[in-house]
Amino acid sequence: MKRLKTIGLVAVLVLVVSACSADSDTTTTGGGATTTTGAAEPTTTASSGETTTSAGGDNPLAAYDEDPTAADPALVEKALGQVDPSDEASWNIVLASIARANQDLAAAGIDIDKAMECWSEPECDTGSGGDLVMGYADGGGNTVNVWRAVSHMEAVLQALTYPEIGTIVSTAANFDPDVAVHISGIQFLIQREVDFIVGYPDVGVGLRDVLLLAHDAGIPYTSFSAGWVGLPDQEGALVPGDDYLSVVGEDLCALGESFSEVLNTGVGTGEVALLGGTPGNALTLGWQRCTISSLADGVDLVNPPPDENTTTGDTFWFNPAIPDVFRGLLTTSPEIKGYAYEYADGLFTGLQVYDELGIPVQNLTLALRTDEQTLFCDWAERNEPTYNIWFSAGGNFQSRTSVTAAMMASKGAEVPGEIVVPHVMRQVTADDCHADRVDPVVSGTSLVPDEVLALMFAG
Amino acid sequence: MTARRIPSSALTSFVVGSRYMPVYLALLLLLVVASIWAPAALGSVALRSVAPYGALLGITALGQMLVIMTGGIDLSVPGTFSLAAVIMVGVGNQSDDRIGVAILTAIGVAALVGLVNGILIGGLKLNALIVTLAVGQVVIGVVNRYGRTFSVQSPVPTGWSEWTTTRIAGVSPVFWIGLVITILLIVAFRYTTVGRRFQVVGANPVASQVVGVRVNQNQISAYVVAAVLYAIAGMALAGLIRTPGISVGTRYLLGPIAAVVIGGASLTGGLASPLSTLAAALFLTGLNQMMLTMGLPTSLQLVVFGLVIIGGMLVSGDRIIKAVERVLRERRRPRRIESETTNSSIGTG
Repeated sequence: MKRLKTIGLVAVLVLVVSACSADSDTTTTGGGATTTTGAAEPTTTASSGETTTSAGGDNPLAAYDEDPTAADPALVEKALGQVDPSDEASWNIVLASIARANQDLAAAGIDIDKAMECWSEPECDTGSGGDLVMGYADGGGNTVNVWRAVSHMEAVLQALTYPEIGTIVSTAANFDPDVAVHISGIQFLIQREVDFIVGYPDVGVGLRDVLLLAHDAGIPYTSFSAGWVGLPDQEGALVPGDDYLSVVGEDLCALGESFSEVLNTGVGTGEVALLGGTPGNALTLGWQRCTISSLADGVDLVNPPPDENTTTGDTFWFNPAIPDVFRGLLTTSPEIKGYAYEYADGLFTGLQVYDELGIPVQNLTLALRTDEQTLFCDWAERNEPTYNIWFSAGGNFQSRTSVTAAMMASKGAEVPGEIVVPHVMRQVTADDCHADRVDPVVSGTSLVPDEVLALMFAG
Repeated sequence: MTARRIPSSALTSFVVGSRYMPVYLALLLLLVVASIWAPAALGSVALRSVAPYGALLGITALGQMLVIMTGGIDLSVPGTFSLAAVIMVGVGNQSDDRIGVAILTAIGVAALVGLVNGILIGGLKLNALIVTLAVGQVVIGVVNRYGRTFSVQSPVPTGWSEWTTTRIAGVSPVFWIGLVITILLIVAFRYTTVGRRFQVVGANPVASQVVGVRVNQNQISAYVVAAVLYAIAGMALAGLIRTPGISVGTRYLLGPIAAVVIGGASLTGGLASPLSTLAAALFLTGLNQMMLTMGLPTSLQLVVFGLVIIGGMLVSGDRIIKAVERVLRERRRPRRIESETTNSSIGTG
């Protein structure tokens, strides 16, 4: 209630400020207080629970059949929290993709059975009669990870809003440690002559050659969840915008600094650890570099990487491997006071090692990217005042942004090589545990409607 | 003549008796290295955490050991392991009342997988490597299909996960299960006819066949019992990590084979020691734990782990015996030739 009052107050203040400054053509962003002043350029306002895009009343993406102004502010906040917009080109694409995430599937003309078919089958005819074939190449897969399953469904639902897309072809490498398996999935999509590929490159630069092959074949590749095919300064890295269409995701360095800010404040003085996914993956490497460099004095990292091109705390995002990493950390440092990690459910698995070893979950601060309910409900159940969690967003919807970016490019739009998704850290409260949600491992910020989730995870 | 044989036979006996020694030396070395570079890895917290996971690898390795003793190999471990884990999720259906049914189902289905392996290898004499690889693929396919019948990343029943993480005498019950299975196998091999017959068949299947031992039956039963052991390990791991997933067994393909070989068994079949195999499993798990404690990067961990397995293979099993025997034979040869020459001189002189 107190929170609602605060939000309401901020919203009113923002409206007043906006009204006062209208003459000077200034747009103010509330909730995070970023002020942008421009002349006739389209500007974006993101204020407490209310997000609008204006361009002198024009839709800046109308030429590509997209409408960022139609994004439901409630959905924007659900997916991202109260964020400051990213750069204009990125933000418009982000909003345009959310604008298509209509929660009323019937109203959006999406057949739920068709969505399920396209999600569960390797290939489906969308029934639209469209000529385009969308390829979806996941390094994980529906059957191995809920986050991947939901991201896949987000992409499917987004694709079904485009009548031009007549076929969806999906491949999954199921986290196979063999890079060849990941490569063959994309090779198959090239041979299948898809028109564009959306995916997450788990093996990073391991996909370099096959993605160049796709590029040569005129098949644009767009990754999501900051799935860089190698970070810009990594050997063998591809250049988004040149070698592949685009990478959708947070500014990784800013995300890493947000994590360190949470740890610096929450821990004060003490030991912290960083965890990551597959060794050397760009997402982990990107934020870990900046977290490490911005940790405050007195906050000691117990598992520093040997060099800046190596990730630390590699968990492979694979639950059976996660306890090993926690045991290694807790053996030497049972007094760890904070963790930064992308994967909330993985941390939930790790906390079981605390229970196993009889180490109390106290004086602990977590800085996370995703928001699986398992961890949040476990946090609520523990009811430990010295244990606090901060998270940014699950980011499942980013696969929608990738689809939209690819579709815009197919219509001749100039898509930025990096589509930056803004983020903000939010503290977990009891409201973030939805015990009756369809599946406890689903992110609270996913834009897949509950009725679809129910079918996906009902078993 | 007798005076010359005693020292060499005593030496040979010592070497034969010490075929299982390398693993204990390796454990000792690990303790020394850990006490210098990663003393925290020897703390009570670390040892308590290594125990259940070491036992998991040990149980799986004991299954693989039974198969290897018959001259076979089982590459269907990841499939059977994962199948048992997902059965705990699917049949368990997050209900403590269904734990018993889930356990029985997992064991029964795993035994069936073992029986198929056993019949194809022991009965139809097909190649063990290919058969178990193929059966393993079929099982993984079944696990994938079965995994779709319930929500991905679903947990096992709470009661099961709580039980596996409780402590008996300070350690997880999974460790004690591993120890009990090891003791049972030792007792069976030493004091029961079935156990001794099993060892004889492994050591010399042709001779066993000649004296009327049912070699095929032995091979089949080895695969069945092994599969049940994989299932026990799979169920236990599912309890420890709560949400096992369909790929939970992938890490248990090479580890158990490495443990068996480092534990002194020969891949060509024959004698093996359950206690040494368990010790090897604890050694490998402890090594992994030590590398994690030392904060080695993943790439280096994999390299060290691989090198240690190769090193273990080089010094374990029959290799030392054969090398020593070769040396002894070569030392004896000149004397024999010399004595033969002397005898011949006497005869002709």
